[in-house]
Amino acid sequence: MKITFLLGSIALLAATQAPAEPAAGADDIVARANLAAYYAGDDGRSEVRMIISDAQDRQQRRQFTVLRRDVTDGGDQQFLVVFSQPSDVRGTVFLVNKHSDRDDDRWLYLPGLDLVKRISAGDKRTSFVGSHYFYEDVSGRRPSDDRHELIETTDDRYVLRHTPLDPSSVEFASYVTWIDRETYLPMKIEYTNPAGKVYRRVEVFEVGEFDGFPTVTRSRVSDLLSGGRTDMQFRYIQYDIGLPAEVFTERSLRTPPREWLARPDGED
Amino acid sequence: MRCLLTILLLPVAAYAQEDLWDDDAWEEDAAGTAWTGFVEAGLGTRFSEDPLVDTRATLEDLRWRVETQWQPRGWSIELKADLGYDGIEQEAIAELRDLSLSFSVGDSTDVRLGRQVLTWGTGDLVFLNDLFPKDFVSFFAGRDDEYLKAPGNALRITHFTPLVNVDFAWSPEFDPDVYLTGERFSFFSPRAGGNVAPQPPLSALEPRATPANGEFAVRLFRTIAGREYALYGYRGFFKQPSAVTASGQATFAPLGALGVSLRQPAGPGILHLETAYYDSRDDRDGDDPRIPNDQWRFVAGYEWEAVANFTVGLQYYLERTLDYGALRANSAAPAFEAEKNRQVLTNRLTYRAGRDRYLWSLFTFYSPSDRDAYFRPAFTYRYSDQWSLSAGANVFTGSEAHTFFNQLQDASNVYLRLRLSY
Repeated sequence: MKITFLLGSIALLAATQAPAEPAAGADDIVARANLAAYYAGDDGRSEVRMIISDAQDRQQRRQFTVLRRDVTDGGDQQFLVVFSQPSDVRGTVFLVNKHSDRDDDRWLYLPGLDLVKRISAGDKRTSFVGSHYFYEDVSGRRPSDDRHELIETTDDRYVLRHTPLDPSSVEFASYVTWIDRETYLPMKIEYTNPAGKVYRRVEVFEVGEFDGFPTVTRSRVSDLLSGGRTDMQFRYIQYDIGLPAEVFTERSLRTPPREWLARPDGED
Repeated sequence: MRCLLTILLLPVAAYAQEDLWDDDAWEEDAAGTAWTGFVEAGLGTRFSEDPLVDTRATLEDLRWRVETQWQPRGWSIELKADLGYDGIEQEAIAELRDLSLSFSVGDSTDVRLGRQVLTWGTGDLVFLNDLFPKDFVSFFAGRDDEYLKAPGNALRITHFTPLVNVDFAWSPEFDPDVYLTGERFSFFSPRAGGNVAPQPPLSALEPRATPANGEFAVRLFRTIAGREYALYGYRGFFKQPSAVTASGQATFAPLGALGVSLRQPAGPGILHLETAYYDSRDDRDGDDPRIPNDQWRFVAGYEWEAVANFTVGLQYYLERTLDYGALRANSAAPAFEAEKNRQVLTNRLTYRAGRDRYLWSLFTFYSPSDRDAYFRPAFTYRYSDQWSLSAGANVFTGSEAHTFFNQLQDASNVYLRLRLSY
C-alpha cells in the first residue's frame, strides 16, 4: 500500500514537472499524458458546464460538479457527479468506481423516484449525458487498449498515432493526439474511421494552472460528419482537498456531500 | 502543414469560444438554492368506451410543479409541490410530494423527517420488498413515471457502519397504494363476477390511525466488491385493499414481510435477484376467504446495453400463493382466485437517439399463467432543455375477465403530455 502510494507520488512528480529530457518512447509519453489529463493530484473537484449543439445550432446545456479520488495513481479511481442543470436532471447523481482490472461499477440516483439504479458498464464509447463526449473521454481510456507510435516531435508537441488492439470494440480505426511537451496534456485528438476519414475531433482551447497542476479549462469535441459539437468549460478547480473514500458510496447518492460540493471561498 | 493550419486557426476558434460562454453567468452550484419545476398539460383517452365509466378520457391534467431546497447550516429542507387541476376527478391538484427536513447525527447517521418518496429493492416496475406506497392509477393513466411512487409521511434513519448499513423507515400512519376505485378505471369484482365502477367510488376501510397501526420497514445493506447485498423486513398492511371486513367492506389485511436481494454485474450487464416472504398475519392458515394468504415472491432480472444506446431488460417474476388448497376450499368464487403460481415475464427496451433528444421505450408485462399482458410504449421528444413532449399508450389485453392486467382492458389508453421546465 505504502509502496504504491510512493510510486504514485513519483509518477505524479514526473508527470507535472516540465521534463528536461525528451521522453524515451511513445508508451512513456502516453503514460505521462494519462496521468496529466486524468490523475492530477490525489483527488480533485471541478464544476463543469457543457453546451451541446447540433448541426442546426440548437443547444442543450448541462451543468454539474465532479468530485474525483484516485485509489491508485494511473489505476482505480472514483467519481461522483452531481447535476445542477437543466432543471429536469437537477439532483441526479452519478457514482462511478473505475477499475483497471474489471468493468467499472456505475450507479445513478434519480431523485424523483428516490431510485438508486445500477447501470451496466456497457459501451464506454457512448454519449456522456447526451453530449458528444464519450464516457471514455471523461474518465480516460486505458493506455493498454491501444498500440502507440510517436510519428512526429515538433517544437511544442509530441504527435502520436494510436491503433486499437481490439478494433471490434471501438468505432475508430486509429486516432492521432497532439500532446503538449511541457504539460503532457493532449491538446488535440483526431479520430479516423475505417474508411480513412477524420470524423471526430477533440480540441483544447484553454489551459490554466490550479494548485500547481496544468488543467484543461475549455475544450470542444466536434462530430465532423453530422456537424454537431459539444463545448465544455471547467471552473472552480481544486486539487488535493483530502476527499475521503466514504464520499464515493451509496450514501452520497441520496445525500450529496455538501461540504465537498460547495464552491471554494473567495473564488468566483 | 496541417499543424500549421491548426495553429493559425486556433486563435479564431478561441475567439468563438469567448462568445459562446461570456454572455452567461454560472448557475448556482449543485449545493445552492434554486427554484425549479415545470408546467405540464396531459391528455389521455381510451381506445374504446368503458361502458361502466361515463367519460372516454383517462387523463386531463394541468399541473405546475415547484421545487426548491433550502440549506441553512447542516440542515436541508426540501420542497416539491404540485398545483393544478385534474379534469377527470374534477378537482384541484394540490399535492405535496416532498416537504422534509434532512440532517446528520454524528458522522454516520442521516435522518430525513417529513413527507417524502421512499424506494428500495431491485425489481424494475416489480415490487417485492418495496412496500412504500405506489400510485397505480397515475401509472396506468400515463402520468410521468415519477408519479408511480406516492409520497408518504415518514421518518427515515440511515446508519452507516463498515460492517453493514441500516435503513429504517417508520410511517406513523398507514399509507396504502393509490388503488383502483372505479372513478377513472373500472376494476374486477369477484362478488359481481365482472367489472364494476361503484358510485360513490370504492373507498376501502383503512386501519385506525393509532401508533400500533403504523408501518415499519428496515433494510440492512452492504456492497462488497461491486455486489450489493440487502436484507429487508416490514410490518404493516397489504398495500392494496385485498381483504374484506365481516360487513363486506374492502380493507387492508395486516402484513409482515421478510426478504433478501442481490444485485451485481454479470457479463455485459447487471443481474438482480430478490425474494420476499409475505406473512398474512391474520390468516396464516390461509382458510379465511376474506383475507389474502401468505405468499412467496421472487424476481430474477438482467439488463444490458445490447447495442450502443439500446438497452434491454428482462425479468421473471413469481408470486406463489401458499396454503392454496385452503384458499380454494374456502373461497366463495374459486374460479376468480389468482393462480397458485402467478408468473410474469417483463421486458424493457430503451433506445436513446439524437443526443438524448429522442427516447423510445417499450415495457411489456406478460403473464403466461394468467394469459394476459400489459404493453407500455412511450416516446419522449426533448425539443430543448425547456420543452419536451411525451406520447405513449397503456394497452391491456388477456383472455379472462378477472386477471390482473385484463381487468383493465377497457382502460387501454393513449396519452400526450407537453412540459415546460423552468
